[in-house]
Amino acid sequence: MLWKRQIPILIVAVIGSITLFGWFINEPSIKVFVEDDATQWYNILASFAAILGALNLIKIQVQKVLYQKPGWGYSSIAVFGFVFSIIAGFFIKGVDVEWGAHVSSEGTLFKWMFDYIFSPMSATMFSLLAFFVASASYRAFRIRNFEATLLLVSGIIIMIGRVPVGGVISSWFVMYLIVLCAGIYVNSWKKDLKITFVFVLVGISLVTIGGVLMGWPIDQPGVFYLPSIQEWIYYYPNVAGARAIMIGIGLGIFATSIRYILGIERSYIGE
Amino acid sequence: MKDKKFWQVVGLILLVFFVYWLAGAPYFITDRVVMFFSIFILGSILLYNIRYAERGGEVYLRPIPGLKAVEEAVGRSTEMGRPVLYVPGIQDMDQVETVAGVVVLGHVAKMTAQYETNLNVPVARSIVMKAAREACRESYTVEGRPDMFNEDMVHYLTDDQFAYAAGVNGIMNREKPAACLYMGKFYAESLILAETGNSIGAIQIAGTASQAQIPFFVTACDYTLIGEEFFAASAYLSQKPELVGGVRGQDMIKLTVIASIIFSILMMALYESTGLGFDVTNFLTIR
Repeated sequence: MLWKRQIPILIVAVIGSITLFGWFINEPSIKVFVEDDATQWYNILASFAAILGALNLIKIQVQKVLYQKPGWGYSSIAVFGFVFSIIAGFFIKGVDVEWGAHVSSEGTLFKWMFDYIFSPMSATMFSLLAFFVASASYRAFRIRNFEATLLLVSGIIIMIGRVPVGGVISSWFVMYLIVLCAGIYVNSWKKDLKITFVFVLVGISLVTIGGVLMGWPIDQPGVFYLPSIQEWIYYYPNVAGARAIMIGIGLGIFATSIRYILGIERSYIGE
Repeated sequence: MKDKKFWQVVGLILLVFFVYWLAGAPYFITDRVVMFFSIFILGSILLYNIRYAERGGEVYLRPIPGLKAVEEAVGRSTEMGRPVLYVPGIQDMDQVETVAGVVVLGHVAKMTAQYETNLNVPVARSIVMKAAREACRESYTVEGRPDMFNEDMVHYLTDDQFAYAAGVNGIMNREKPAACLYMGKFYAESLILAETGNSIGAIQIAGTASQAQIPFFVTACDYTLIGEEFFAASAYLSQKPELVGGVRGQDMIKLTVIASIIFSILMMALYESTGLGFDVTNFLTIR
């Protein structure tokens, strides 16, 4: 119990306190520990743990192949990749370079594996994101309720406002569009064609009169110019929301850390 | 305000610090005194509320749909006879989000032990594998089902981000888990995982403090724990007074922060327009 409960809690409390209060103490040895030594200790421990991970991986995959469990074909590829990487990393260099330097030297088996197998496969996975973004955006932008509509409109404004074509769309054109959209809303609200007609006619007339008087400047009034609107959305509502989330996250991390340091939260040791 | 012991300790610490300050504050970086006191005040608020809950004080926890849905997701997996997939992020145990993810895993493991449902936890870091195994082992033991615990339910895949995403996607497509839970720190792989989970029709619950990934999870998952909700998950699922009190403390700290922001805005406006007061931005800047 002592080894599995009290000692881990004590280690977390002591190291956590040193790391937290080390920020306020002007003592080089503590500073070095907090900024350098502690991280290095972690890396050393993680290096040893990597062996455990590798052993676990190979154990599970070999078991799958031996007992021919569903999907064992994939496991055989994983086992082959594992063995091949070890051979390329520790036994066969391919060209005459120093051990260690062979992982980044041109012409070596390890570099070949990295450039022609690992990198293309990673790039393939990463490029899948483009398709997933499209499918996720489709679902997010479907008009289901007010929030989804708001998201759709903001998304369209941001997308068009940030590309060159957005800059050549006149704010007067946007105003005409708004009048027409408002006309649709009025029609579905009042359900009277006369009222809709008068509303749209008055709206279009006002926009036209305004345009004639101002000389149809493309970026005036700025509030209807897409690059200006997208900039406002991006720098004000977006930043405000992001900061609110950031403050919440910061407080969550702070509270969690304090609970760990003081030994209040002990779930990480299974309590 | 009735916690006499708490106030005595706070008073004693302040008195000790005052004496230390009068003695010239050796070794103390005096430029950081504002930050030091901020941490002291915020920590005190947190501890006060934890003690308040421990002494039987009433604490209201806002219902969080994402956390309520965890049990529903495990139940659904049981009904369908399919496993629960739990992804604790792709970072190591030095990230507080990963630690929070492992803590939530402990609660999920208790549920899977109760419901006798298979749990599959692929991890991207060896240390996380060890920690997650311990969390699961304890949960299965506490629930009286140590026989159901199998070390390989928590298994290592790879450290590489996209190789891990490919591995988890493969597991999803082959095993078709009925519930996919993503709790931890994520980067670009978040959408790859969540969209694949969506394509197999799994109920998906995500929790992360990775700000850039929250929109992806919100879009692709059924429930998302945003930022602080994720850190409150442990309290919500365990209902332990000391943890629930911490959540109340977080809310009180939030109120303090909001009050500080409003006060700073007013002070800054006063300072810039009339020259009265002091430069609050300079005062609060971390050095």
